Amino acid sequence: MFVHLQGPWNPVWGRLSLQAIPYHNPILVGTFLFAVVIALAAVGAVLYFRAGPYLWREWLTTVDHKKIGVMYCLLGLVMLFRGFADALMIRTQQAIAVGPHSPGYLGALHGYLTPFHIGQVYTAHGLIMVVFAATPLLVGIMNIIVPLQIGARDMAYPYLNALGFWLTAAAAGLVMLSLFVGNFAHGGWYGFLPYFELPYSPGVGVDYWMWAFQLSAVGTTLGSINLIATIVKMRAPGMTWMRMPIFTWASLSTNLIALTSFPVLMVSLALLGLDRYFGTHFYTAGNGGNLMLYNDLFWVWGHPEVYFLILPAFGMMSEIIPTFSEKTLFGYTTMVVASFAIGGVSWGVWLHHFFTMAAEPSVNSFYSVTTMLVGIPTGVKVFNWIFTMYRGRVRFELPMMWAVLALFLLLVGGMSGMMNAFAANDYMWHNGVFVVAHFHMMVLLIAASIFGAVEYWFPKIFGFKLEQRWGKWFFWFMVLGTAWVFVPMFILGFTGMTRRLDYVPYTQWAPYLRVMLVGMAFYVIALVFFFAHLYVSLRDRVKNRVGADPWGTSRNLEWMTHSPVPAYNFAYIPHVHARDEWAWRKENGVASLANESFEDIHMPRNTGVPVLLGALSFVLCFGLIWRIWWLSAASLALVVLVIIVRSFARNTDEVITAKTVAGVEGAVDDALPSAARG
Amino acid sequence: MSKRGIKGAIKALCAPLLLMLNGCSKSGLYLLEPEGTISRVTHHYFNLDVGIMLLIIIPTALLSVWAMWRYRKGGGGSYRPDWSHSWFIEAVVWGIPLITVGVLSYLSVKAIYKVNPYNPGALAHQEAAAGKPLEVDVIVTDWRWLFIYPGQRIASVNHLVLPVGVPVHFRLTSTSVVNDFIIPQLVGMIDVIPGMRTKQTLEASKTGHYVGFSADYSGAGLSWMNFETQTVTKAKFAQWVKKTQAAPHNMTDAAFNLFAKPYISIDHRPMVFGHVQSGLFDYVVHEVMSGKVWPTPTAMTENMVKYMNKQQANVKAGDY
Amino acid sequence: MSSTTDTRIQPGSTVLWDKGDAAGHDILGTRTFGFWLYMLTDAMVYAAFFAAFGVLAHNAGLNSKSVLAAVFNAQGAYRETIALFASVLAYGYAMVALKKGSRSGVAVGTVVALVLGLVFLGMVSGDMERLFGQGIVPQSNGFLSIVFTLIIYHALHIIVGAIWMLVMLAQMGRDGFTSNVVYRLINLRIFWHFQAVIWVFIFVFVYLQGKVI
Repeated sequence: MFVHLQGPWNPVWGRLSLQAIPYHNPILVGTFLFAVVIALAAVGAVLYFRAGPYLWREWLTTVDHKKIGVMYCLLGLVMLFRGFADALMIRTQQAIAVGPHSPGYLGALHGYLTPFHIGQVYTAHGLIMVVFAATPLLVGIMNIIVPLQIGARDMAYPYLNALGFWLTAAAAGLVMLSLFVGNFAHGGWYGFLPYFELPYSPGVGVDYWMWAFQLSAVGTTLGSINLIATIVKMRAPGMTWMRMPIFTWASLSTNLIALTSFPVLMVSLALLGLDRYFGTHFYTAGNGGNLMLYNDLFWVWGHPEVYFLILPAFGMMSEIIPTFSEKTLFGYTTMVVASFAIGGVSWGVWLHHFFTMAAEPSVNSFYSVTTMLVGIPTGVKVFNWIFTMYRGRVRFELPMMWAVLALFLLLVGGMSGMMNAFAANDYMWHNGVFVVAHFHMMVLLIAASIFGAVEYWFPKIFGFKLEQRWGKWFFWFMVLGTAWVFVPMFILGFTGMTRRLDYVPYTQWAPYLRVMLVGMAFYVIALVFFFAHLYVSLRDRVKNRVGADPWGTSRNLEWMTHSPVPAYNFAYIPHVHARDEWAWRKENGVASLANESFEDIHMPRNTGVPVLLGALSFVLCFGLIWRIWWLSAASLALVVLVIIVRSFARNTDEVITAKTVAGVEGAVDDALPSAARG
Repeated sequence: MSKRGIKGAIKALCAPLLLMLNGCSKSGLYLLEPEGTISRVTHHYFNLDVGIMLLIIIPTALLSVWAMWRYRKGGGGSYRPDWSHSWFIEAVVWGIPLITVGVLSYLSVKAIYKVNPYNPGALAHQEAAAGKPLEVDVIVTDWRWLFIYPGQRIASVNHLVLPVGVPVHFRLTSTSVVNDFIIPQLVGMIDVIPGMRTKQTLEASKTGHYVGFSADYSGAGLSWMNFETQTVTKAKFAQWVKKTQAAPHNMTDAAFNLFAKPYISIDHRPMVFGHVQSGLFDYVVHEVMSGKVWPTPTAMTENMVKYMNKQQANVKAGDY
Repeated sequence: MSSTTDTRIQPGSTVLWDKGDAAGHDILGTRTFGFWLYMLTDAMVYAAFFAAFGVLAHNAGLNSKSVLAAVFNAQGAYRETIALFASVLAYGYAMVALKKGSRSGVAVGTVVALVLGLVFLGMVSGDMERLFGQGIVPQSNGFLSIVFTLIIYHALHIIVGAIWMLVMLAQMGRDGFTSNVVYRLINLRIFWHFQAVIWVFIFVFVYLQGKVI
């Protein structure tokens, strides 16, 4: 029933053997030691501070949307560092391995990474940055902010929310595990067919890639169901559709994209899995398979996915820019229409990912034009942000600086995007680094929005502001790094240089590749400043303590509760009267959060089931990757059993008594230095 | 902006980088130095596209800088916190992108019909004038290029020789995974797909040497999978054909089965075949469609250097 | 429109906070809405499968006429259709009983639906066994790969539905019609009907169209 494999297999250990441990590779051994040190330090700290029970009670088993969101963000941050380390390796390799006379180290002909190794590095870089860094960070921020912005106490399905997170975490764990047990896919993050079929990728790398991807797709789909249901069903009284904050609108459109596109990704990966495990012929070149089918299915997900990432980023910019322009957003309705227009068009552009597949000119023309259409709503958004600043009072605090950076990156990325959409250009550089530079502009825009959003909403969640001095150093070195890495990369685009080279044959390209390395050095310095930023902020947390509205000019519902937000979000659910409710209340002099009496609040009870299901899914996928059938079967059976048993649970809710609420509310002091100005 | 202006601007931008580091003599910016009919048309539309985009992007960037400066806190700008709507501005912000996209779409479609590999409009009149085009069949293996000249019944590995001023028609297929055929200064990319046949067309305008490579990730040997394209006069081409036809090696279906085994061409060993079995291209397409694979051994990816040493030994022994 | 263009505040008459019943969100509506969203994702999965079917059907000619005839056994599929539709109908009656609040009515309807679902499963697996016995397997070529995948994926849903019914019978027996049990019964209805709808597509686009190929 199962396909024939290259290499040994036995019923107990599957394909797993001691040879799967890459102990002969000094880079991986070093990474492993680093990971061990970090892990020991973490475990040691937990034991030393006796934080185990606290972590389990308050974090691992939590169903609180804010804590889950924070964990999403932490996961995203950790994976961001991993992805950045991969980027460093790619850039150094390409700076060394230029020309036939370049030196080779560590068993590589040129540079210090063999094709097989650097293949894994850039595959991991791509997958991690898209699926395990950007997505968790965005989903995390949506998780935290959306219920607050619509005046809800939690998500529609808090338990499902936790499950989605733990599945994503399990998937990220698989990617990390592939460093030390076996290897990762080595042909690019979006997979090439038939290259990812067994005859050409016989190892477990593709299986790691496939199952990590699949698991995270399940997690994201569950998350999107949750967010849509929350926005549709859980809005506070008085919050009509056209009074919803713009970030909530962005979240709605982006999750509609996720809801409809991620299932297609699951199918595209599942069919590959059937090919690899059962020997079917979906994507094989022969026997009636069709390898272009994979490209179509994958990019039918893949392009909407790009907008899934960018729409929340636009939403964040649309929140930050009005706050720091001390003014309402220009063209609210237009912004909503533009978000949905982008979401809609995203479904009709996927073929531009293979303009060079030898399609008729009419086909390429159609997709070239639809791709350009994306430029219209995006351009509208840019103009609306500019007109939001127009006649405002623009304050350049850190969140605003990041938003402005995102705006300029969008101009560069948008321009290069229009150049790519011009199919005749694309014929010249389709798999080239010009495209790489373009989409890095776009993901850096997303990253800039995320950094801005974190600076902006951090005081709401943790009750103190991040300091500004080191944060500004971090910002400026990110700008420098971006300029020095990606300007040369755009120029390299005109050489026709292609992606994923482990060795660069033409020495004329060397100067650009070395300039990029300078940019990477700036990024490394930026990273140091980032840690300084974080450290100083945490150190001065008492000094930087803030009240409900730390920026003073915020406009939406999330600022209408204390900082940090209590577990129940709002002691009383607010009634909404205007589009920018908080701004409206401040203008009308009713911006007091004080209440005299309180009522019992029903909240969902914490549960360990989601983390258990995440762990079981991890084991399930591990078994499948190494083809340890008994392990997979056992963990699958356990998953089903746990779900059934959980469905019988009766006491899934708990009550926060009025007395407890009164205690919490009484303890907060909203009249702090920069607190709400009535 | 004029064509020369953009080119000049980009070169000016690159120059300091080049000078600063090692003062390369040749820029290597292949896409900006087109030397074939198709690539020149592509470059023309590229310039138009960039020019129009810059017309929009530069004013937008200036506008945003102006708005940020003029309306900074403490600056002298008027402050109207409730101003958030203007039909006129809404019309402009939708109108400008709409018109730009309209114009660019028109140009894009026109350009596609000019340079698409399937009957490119740019070559239409040349095709009529030049008479019979040169046919070249390209078979890509893991990781070598086999160029077959079916009319001349010869073949060459990793080395493509083309006459100047003659339209060349390529048929391309792959034995294993998807590759992408490109000669940046002559013609853009076209996928090379196993079990399928794709087409490409080009016409070189000058004699010279050009680089060509595969632009789609195809495995461990990709980085070494480049080929030299030499364009020569028609007379020189005829000489080359004659010389090659005298070469001793024979490319038959059986020999091809051996040739198609995974091979990383680090040595760039040139090979020519004085005789090629007719219908080899169709034979390969058919074989792959029927399920034939030349699998990559695990050792080749996971321990490439060791594998290559073994491979070199086998080459000496006459395998491959 | 900005915040201030909305009506000015009337002190005293403006409700700023929702005191009293703060929950306000109906559990049933929220739960079933989410389940509809889930069904949409499942519909997208099927859509992708059918798209793959449409692509790979171009290669149906790789199979001999006799193989195609054996796979597209329309009469067998028709019997399966009857079983599945009867099961859905029975579950529909269970839902009628739910409206009346009749616990026994729901139980009987669910049991009948379950038995008929198992009959359907039995017929499908019998069909698969027959084909595998003749050496007609998904590994033969791309077209058969997608045909078997579609049918087996649908059958997996039926298995999930059957387990769900067993669980619901137990929960109903233990708790009666609590809101948890009721929303799950309603969601199961959505799920079960959806499988019948998908089966219509499979019957038409795979079995009947397969006859024509």
